[in-house]
Amino acid sequence: MEGHFDRETPPTPQDSAFEFNGNWAAFGKIALTNLLLTIVTLGIYRFWATARERRYLWSETRFIDDRLEWTGTGMELLIGFVMVLLLLVLPLFVIQFVQQALLLQGQTAAAGGLTLLLFLAIFYITGLAQFRGLRYRLSRTYWHGIRGGSDDQGVGYGWSYIWKNFVGYMVFGLMIPWSLMTLWNERWNKMSFGPHKFDAIGDHSDTFKRYLLFYLLPVLLFAGGIIFGIIVAASGGNAAPIGPAQSFGLALAFVLFFYLGLGLVALFFYAKFFRVAIDGLSLQKLDFGFSAKTKDWFILLLGDAGLWLLAALFVALPLAVAAVSVGLINNFKLPDAGATPTEVYLAFLIPMIFIIIVPFSLVGPFIRYRHWKFFITYLQCYGEINLDELTQSETEISKHGEGLLDAFDVGAI
Amino acid sequence: MDLGAWFYDGRSAARREVEIQVIGRNFFLAELERRHGPYAFSDLHYSGEQGRSWVYKHGDIDGWRLGISRASAAELAGLLPARNIYGGWIDRLGLGKAAIAFAAVSAAIVAIVMVAPQWLAPLVPYSVEQRLGEALVGDFGGRLCATPKGSAALKKMARGLDSRISDFDIEVANIDIVNAVALPGGKIIIFNGLLSEAKSADEVAGVLAHEIGHVRQRHVMQSMIRQMGLSVVMGGVDGNVGGTLNGLLSVGYTREAESEADGHAIETLAAAQISPLPTAAFFDRLGARGADKKKAGEAQKTGKSGKAAANGAETLLGYISSHPPTENRKARFEKSYAKNEAYRPVLTGKEWAALRAMCANDKDVKSGFNLDFGNEDKNWNPDKKMGR
Repeated sequence: MEGHFDRETPPTPQDSAFEFNGNWAAFGKIALTNLLLTIVTLGIYRFWATARERRYLWSETRFIDDRLEWTGTGMELLIGFVMVLLLLVLPLFVIQFVQQALLLQGQTAAAGGLTLLLFLAIFYITGLAQFRGLRYRLSRTYWHGIRGGSDDQGVGYGWSYIWKNFVGYMVFGLMIPWSLMTLWNERWNKMSFGPHKFDAIGDHSDTFKRYLLFYLLPVLLFAGGIIFGIIVAASGGNAAPIGPAQSFGLALAFVLFFYLGLGLVALFFYAKFFRVAIDGLSLQKLDFGFSAKTKDWFILLLGDAGLWLLAALFVALPLAVAAVSVGLINNFKLPDAGATPTEVYLAFLIPMIFIIIVPFSLVGPFIRYRHWKFFITYLQCYGEINLDELTQSETEISKHGEGLLDAFDVGAI
Repeated sequence: MDLGAWFYDGRSAARREVEIQVIGRNFFLAELERRHGPYAFSDLHYSGEQGRSWVYKHGDIDGWRLGISRASAAELAGLLPARNIYGGWIDRLGLGKAAIAFAAVSAAIVAIVMVAPQWLAPLVPYSVEQRLGEALVGDFGGRLCATPKGSAALKKMARGLDSRISDFDIEVANIDIVNAVALPGGKIIIFNGLLSEAKSADEVAGVLAHEIGHVRQRHVMQSMIRQMGLSVVMGGVDGNVGGTLNGLLSVGYTREAESEADGHAIETLAAAQISPLPTAAFFDRLGARGADKKKAGEAQKTGKSGKAAANGAETLLGYISSHPPTENRKARFEKSYAKNEAYRPVLTGKEWAALRAMCANDKDVKSGFNLDFGNEDKNWNPDKKMGR
């Protein structure tokens, strides 16, 4: 990396250390074949589908002079999934029965204790999953034949996750930015790439003002509503009574404003948090940065919503056409299960299912594509790197994928 | 031949421009002043595409990467490993063939799961099913009605329909919906709303014969086994989609079961010399009543089979309902009417009156007004003792 850029004026994509070169058409081919194979294997292929998707996204991502490489496999993800099923879902199932039995026998205290224990365990495992998901992804990401990873198993991070979240929610949730940021720093400080450790020093106080806005907005809105009500009442309630339609409109506007406003302010905080967190991240002589502003995040999410809408249209159109054409054909009788053989009934039903499933199933992959592109586009890197000093990582490689992550749906970064 | 390539040795990030020197099944990678290797072609694995190159990795050396241009790779065709695109099996077969093969295997598995319950259900011991029914239903939260006269009338009706009445446990529940259900273990529950709605005992007999049909054909056990099998097979599919598919696949079989139960009911009524016309009229009245459609639909969602309520409109959505359209059912019952048969009523007027008034006359029974039929099961509390 030769050029040095000012943080305030991010480099153009061509000058940026990171660049994404993928295109929708190439990715679409992957998404379509993935969907086909996922359907014909009753869903089992989805682990391989994920691996293929990532292989493409990583390989179209340039860092300085070469592309990234994803080496995770579908088999790893499948093993991770089965492990979660055996180690987590099954015991949870059993514990539920024990709990019910305890309640029935009147052992309320024991049942309560078990519930608390279960709650803590799930919390712990969520933290563990977050840590191990990041570790897994780094250990499968290669650049110049060098990979990342961590020698930490995430056992300690799980405990930190419990107590920091606990502290975060105490004091009426005012410490949440602190818990989020210190957890981010804690897990990144345990990660490495090649021989170098990541260094994460994000400061939560930089994000606190925006958090406070998010935190106080409902209170402000509530107070505003009351004041508005008082004013309306004081100005002579009898003179201008509000009709039911008007009051419904007002209520709707309020609810919309509340959720949209709150969502926007949450985004406002999140954008800042992400910038501060990544700005605080460095790897030896490389400094990372993230330049997406609230507006950029908003456009990203707006596009996601657009994708859903598009899928809905693709479902609605064929169904509408089918309904109309069925109506036009005289004496058309829908096959009647029971009277007609089940096979005929299924032959009629299954295409209908496909019309519905296919468009909606393609939304997920394209949203992941957009989010990856977004992430890479706004990710910056400053400083320099010595290729001869960047030697192979000696961290341990786990044999299974991010099953825990899959189960809890926790974002890794 | 010129076989230029780029190479990472996996130890450092330095990129090396090398030339591949092939010696039999092995090769060296030569830089200007240095030679790496030898390596065996058999140790290589395809690792993906990077721009215009195909990248190969070494099975034993972490981070070892060799990027070969497509043209060069073509020259080494016999030596380099096959490209891995979709995953091992699929690459060997080709996408089309693999998709067809997988689809066939999946269809076979689903077909087995759908059909096997019909053979498996009769193998489940009856005592097991009875215990299951007991655990599931218990006393219906104290909502079962009983009076000496009403219970006797119900027993008489059942005896008229099936000679081995001990196989069943037929009860009337004090819940105001026009419906009846067959549950595991030969439990049949007639809801009081159905008794109020029916104009004669013969109408109730038709519905009861239908439910008896479900029990005799072991439909309840079949559907439970099928649900279990489907949820295992659909385990790989995402939760919501899997559940929906699961439900839709079951519908066809549920309808077939309904049709079978109707057939059983028609035969039973004929054998007992009870006219099928009142039952047909009952379907007709129900079809006209839009309000019950929703109730019936909600009760169906809980997976219990067997109802007398019906759906008249053949809309696309109604099509997915688990019952055959009322029209067809009505016609089928009407068709079974024989002109010269000496039909007789199943109960006397007094008995019918006692049966209808059973819930009103049972002072200890709980009423069913608070029942939330969106989630029937939670109200079936087997631990509440019947206060009788």
